[in-house]
Amino acid sequence: MNGENSSGDKTGRMAPTDNELMEQVRDGKVEKLAILFERHQIMLYNFFLRLTGNRAASEDLVQEVFIRILKYRAGYQGESRFVVWMFQIARNAHIDFLRKRKEELPLDDQFAEAPSLERRPEDRFEADQEARLVRQALDKLPPKKRELLVLFRFQDLKLREIAELLDVQVGTVKVQVHRALKDLSRIYLELQGGKAS
Amino acid sequence: MNCERIQDRFADYLTGDLDEEARGEVQDHISSCGPCRAEIENLTAVWAKLGVLPEEQPSGDLRHRFYAMLETCKNEQDAAVKTPARARILAGWWEWFTFRRPAFAASFSIFLLLLGLGTGWVMSGSGGKSARLTTLQREVQDMRQTIAISLLSQPSASERLQGVSYSAAVRNPSAKTLTALVNILNTDPNPNVRLAAVEALYLFRNQPGVKDSLVNALAVQDSALVQVSLIDLLVEIREQRASEALKALIKNEKLNPDVKKLAEQGIKQLI
Repeated sequence: MNGENSSGDKTGRMAPTDNELMEQVRDGKVEKLAILFERHQIMLYNFFLRLTGNRAASEDLVQEVFIRILKYRAGYQGESRFVVWMFQIARNAHIDFLRKRKEELPLDDQFAEAPSLERRPEDRFEADQEARLVRQALDKLPPKKRELLVLFRFQDLKLREIAELLDVQVGTVKVQVHRALKDLSRIYLELQGGKAS
Repeated sequence: MNCERIQDRFADYLTGDLDEEARGEVQDHISSCGPCRAEIENLTAVWAKLGVLPEEQPSGDLRHRFYAMLETCKNEQDAAVKTPARARILAGWWEWFTFRRPAFAASFSIFLLLLGLGTGWVMSGSGGKSARLTTLQREVQDMRQTIAISLLSQPSASERLQGVSYSAAVRNPSAKTLTALVNILNTDPNPNVRLAAVEALYLFRNQPGVKDSLVNALAVQDSALVQVSLIDLLVEIREQRASEALKALIKNEKLNPDVKKLAEQGIKQLI
């Protein structure tokens, strides 16, 4: 179960798996969390970025995930892959973030459009129109479907791991992924049609 | 096999997680079923399109905040291990002070104020930093080094690179940290990591043995980039002992001509 991240390199050193590192963190070697942070911070950051469309909030959320990992380290069991546990924490952090934002925002703003990324100057020169369209289409999906697709497409999680994460049957995840992809495809084509005309 | 059962397999089909037999069944079905074929083509196209989304990098601030948080946690942990009994006694006293004793709390505040003023007066009189603060700073440094050494021994180059930059942030590196950096400089398979190690060791050039290690490293480096960086550094710090190492280096027939030229210039500058 823990062998999935094991790999050697030219120096012959074996990488400790995520699970082994997290077990060490749990048993008192908290400095080992630095290795887990280096391995996963970019993936987590992009997970949040694709959900929130907000860079600053995504960084705050990554930080929050690692704070919670430390806080709840004693309860780490290591039954599933570490990333599944990490994404459980990440999803909870995101739910709390949405709840907090809801409390802060006036009612009208809560129903504002789905988040879209603030543009950086270089984005103006972004040659890849396709990437922009895909991002817009993803933003237009309902949050749950967006989260499911982001987990499925970008986070290197297996369907059974997503099922575990969402606490549903694997069959349900398959059906939901299928529907979400169909919706995304429809929205994408609509947006593309809009651009072309 | 019917359309519904085939569609159940589309998600696995996209990720390539179907075994050969199941994949064959899907392909057989779609070759004879127009709607399912259109569907899978559609899903495959959107699946591929999602792949064009670029991965973004977080700012350096995230890393900075993470390590600050980790240091705080490690320090708290160390403090708890060192003084569990004292902490319990303090916690007990604190409870006793804070619950249902407003009058006492007020007088205690005045006591604390006087104590603070008194401590300030004593400290300004002695002119020194409090021993506790020094201990705390040392603990932070120790913590940084533990993280750095941990990262330096990782198989992934990016993690080792992070370890090098983390150890460069240490003020007074221990012999263990220095040895780990020298080891990286001499044996790391990745030239970028070795290059970073040269820069970190430059910061620690006044620590015992570091200059010698830098001079000795010249003989074992095979990357022109690292050689150039080392020569620049040794010339800049006017390390006389480097002359011999540079002379030995230019005798190497396989040496990159640009590096050779730089080494020759270096020898002249060091005379």
